Amino acid sequence: MRNILKIGAGALAALGLTVSVAQSAETVLWWDFLGGGDGVRMKQLISDFNAAHDGEITIDATTLEWGVPFYTKVQTSAAVGEAPDVMTYHASRIPLAVSQGILQEITTDDWSAMGMGQGDFAEATWDAVTIDSKQYAVPLDTHPIVLYYNKDVLSAAGLLNDDGTPKGMDSREGFTATLQALKDSGSIKFPLGSVTGDGNFMFRTIYSLMGQQDGELMTDGEFLTGDNGDKLENALGVLAEWTNAGLQSTYTDYPATVALFTSGEAAMMINGVWEVPTMTDQHAAGNLFEWGAVELPVIFDHPSTYADSHSFAIPANAGKEMTAEKRAAVLEVMSWVDKNSLFWATAGHIPAYAPVTNSAEYKAMEPNATYSPLTANMIFDPKSVFAGVAGPMFDVMSTYFVPTLNGEMDPADAVADIKDELNDM
Amino acid sequence: MTAANAGRWNLIGLSITLLTVFLAVLWAFPLYWGIVSSLKPENEVVRPYIELWPDTFTFEHYIFALTETEIGRWYINSIATAAGITILTVSTSMLCGYALSQLQFPGRKALYLLILASFMVPTQTLIINHFVLIANMGMLNSWAGIILPQLIHPVVIIVYKQFFDSVPKDFREAAVMDNASEFRILFKIYMPMNWGVTTALSIVVFIWSWNAFLWPFLAVTRTNMMTITVGITQVNDTFGISYASQLSAAVLAGLPVALAYLLFQRRVTQAITLSAGIKG
Amino acid sequence: MLRNSRSEILVALVLIAPFCAVYGLVFVYPTIKMLLLSVTDAPLIGPGEFVGLDNYTRLPGERRFNTALWNTTYFVILSVVPGTIVALLIALGVNRLSGRLQALVLALFFLPYILPVSVVYRLWDWTLNFQFGVAMHVLDWFSIPRIPVFKTTTWFMPAVAFVTIWWTAGFSILLFLAGLRAIPVEIYEAAALDNAGRWNTFRKITWPLLWPVTALVLTIQLILQLKIFDQVYLFSFGGRPNDTMVLVQYVYTRAFVSNQGGRAAAIAVTLFFIVIIVSVLQFQLLRLAGNSGKGDDK
Repeated sequence: MRNILKIGAGALAALGLTVSVAQSAETVLWWDFLGGGDGVRMKQLISDFNAAHDGEITIDATTLEWGVPFYTKVQTSAAVGEAPDVMTYHASRIPLAVSQGILQEITTDDWSAMGMGQGDFAEATWDAVTIDSKQYAVPLDTHPIVLYYNKDVLSAAGLLNDDGTPKGMDSREGFTATLQALKDSGSIKFPLGSVTGDGNFMFRTIYSLMGQQDGELMTDGEFLTGDNGDKLENALGVLAEWTNAGLQSTYTDYPATVALFTSGEAAMMINGVWEVPTMTDQHAAGNLFEWGAVELPVIFDHPSTYADSHSFAIPANAGKEMTAEKRAAVLEVMSWVDKNSLFWATAGHIPAYAPVTNSAEYKAMEPNATYSPLTANMIFDPKSVFAGVAGPMFDVMSTYFVPTLNGEMDPADAVADIKDELNDM
Repeated sequence: MTAANAGRWNLIGLSITLLTVFLAVLWAFPLYWGIVSSLKPENEVVRPYIELWPDTFTFEHYIFALTETEIGRWYINSIATAAGITILTVSTSMLCGYALSQLQFPGRKALYLLILASFMVPTQTLIINHFVLIANMGMLNSWAGIILPQLIHPVVIIVYKQFFDSVPKDFREAAVMDNASEFRILFKIYMPMNWGVTTALSIVVFIWSWNAFLWPFLAVTRTNMMTITVGITQVNDTFGISYASQLSAAVLAGLPVALAYLLFQRRVTQAITLSAGIKG
Repeated sequence: MLRNSRSEILVALVLIAPFCAVYGLVFVYPTIKMLLLSVTDAPLIGPGEFVGLDNYTRLPGERRFNTALWNTTYFVILSVVPGTIVALLIALGVNRLSGRLQALVLALFFLPYILPVSVVYRLWDWTLNFQFGVAMHVLDWFSIPRIPVFKTTTWFMPAVAFVTIWWTAGFSILLFLAGLRAIPVEIYEAAALDNAGRWNTFRKITWPLLWPVTALVLTIQLILQLKIFDQVYLFSFGGRPNDTMVLVQYVYTRAFVSNQGGRAAAIAVTLFFIVIIVSVLQFQLLRLAGNSGKGDDK
């Protein structure tokens, strides 16, 4: 049957119904999921790369919708040999991808061809792309979440310290008091803008709050053992408390959160560092108040912030062997972008390649410099096939986060249900 | 009927008319609202009050959509695949409908029953095996791959059969007497007679194909091969505020079909009723 | 007939060949493959082991399957009959109008139908946006608390059903209008002479004569809505996908997200039979209803 189908396909192709891609010297098919300010900057890097490699390598880039759509497309297209040559990948997603066999190993030879190695990356970052002491991706950056705040509003309410940071960042009581004071000031609609309409997103905040109590999602392959369930409940509890006290925006989706903050309706916002360009650009255009970004407040025992890492991976295309020339081109793409990632830092991210972050130019960059100390307190996703952006765990949790964070469900009930469902997987 | 009574009736009649018109305007309001919003700058779109007319007029989102996305490619893909589906469906269905209506051959009843049965079968359940089939044929990310699984429109055959059935037998018998071949009879006599049906069915199949989402969404992984219906949901700026730019892409996707409908309103109306088997 | 029946058969075969080839390839063959796939543990692409009916027997115990089954049923309940009633009422209203006004009003009601689902999604996602949607401002005027329509399980299905009715009513309206126009004017004139009221005229004349069209609209709607995927998939983006799952979406999720072809096929086959059984049942039911409706008339 397969052969008959192939003949049929050939006939249709001969009729000119299929479209073929023109070949230049070496074209590297590239997929990413980078939109907004990220997307603009990556497009710039790609066109710089193409200009620098004129006549040798051309990147043919495609941007797909972030999250489930991207990873679904990657998975199905790798299975049928339609995947690209290189793609951006979340480090948190690597264990799942490796178990599905959709990524190619980055070998020792590859690393030396790129002129990079373990020593060029932070230990946690290197570890995030390593499974069974083999690497499956080249880290590009780490991107934690931070607290954005409206300096004008906070200063008018007398809530700024002398160094321009918000007051009450060191305790649950302190931060809640700051939020309450903002509410009482009456100058804004919401003290805190949170992406409460999207459980996937809130995972980042909640996991950070769990990390502040040394809570773990997974221990020895089991979910939420011991008092980890209580720690999750604590994390959900504090967020639910803010909602119930009217201190936090409810059912807010991603763009709405950004809009609430930039329009001045929300005084603070917890969001990824990738929104830095939005703020920088709007501020430069004169559409934005004075703003700042700092590490998340310490609600529990010690500072801790969730982070993930954008990395580059080579898909394992079923039934297709990559030529040596193509592979060399792909390696050149990955190492070139990494080595030129200072520009990528203007998208708010913290470059993974240490020579870049150690440079004087990087150290002078704002607001990156303000929040860069938090790298010491970053935690990554558990290394599990269930973890990662748009992974199975995300799905289960987000289903319960949304009702809990918006006051529809009791945190304790949510934790019990999450536990059951996770351990059921 | 007294005069007072008649007056009361007219009053009710008038209010029903007004209500209908009012509801029609309300019905179309989201369309208007989407267009107006797409003409505002992003920071005005999110103002906390209603502005029925843009404060600042801007085409920036349209310029962005037209220059920064592959919307032009998507139009071409949509037109090519919708046209392909329409031509293939209508032509194969016409030939088959003619055979079912006018010719005697073994298995005729069985074929007709199979077609009737496929009315009820949800093609959406076949997505897995369509995907495997098209992947094995190496036709993912191609027009042919988008077109093939969408050629199942049993209703077209049935409408054709009904119309061929309704042609008086005399025509055929006279032609047969003249020793005209079956193909001649079909193409020279029956087809011209059913030209209106063919146009109508083509319009309907084209609308359905243009609007198809699930299959084109699965069959394409490269942005440059997406249809416009899929493209505007799969490729966008995930970060930052992008309501107006998303709406402008949506307006661009909806506009051609909307204009085509307004131009050919009568024909589309006829086509729809005909596709449901009602001779309007 | 004088004509040689063998050549007629030959011509017929030539004429049906293209259609049968297409049908065999994209309909009959995939259907058979789907049945075979559903009893294996195969991934989306590639072979699997025979597992008997395991994929079926585990379905009733799966939370997401039960959710999807219920949501699909709920969606059908919310969209089929209400959608038909809305379309009928609008058609009755439009039918009273004439000339250009009628064409204009009809165009306004019909326009949404020709829009792609993704456009419909963008428009309503924006209109009902919790923070900035124009509908929420209207709720504010009446001091009704805002509703996060697509983020709560209470409102998700009703809202998607509402949007679906808005989107597809134009189709049914056209069918009803055609049906209304087919009713001879003389009948109404006779009724007017008898001094029959509006309601009586509708009940005794319009409704029974319109019944075949109503039955047709109901059937088309039912078959269509059981296969719901597009709108639910789009609106559930970033929301609570596991709570708002419908059957076709579950097939998609298992096959394309979780890479479990065999298990996905079992769900697809189940849906396949649900649609067939429900269609047959409804067909019988409508026939009965139609007959008893006529009985009332006498």
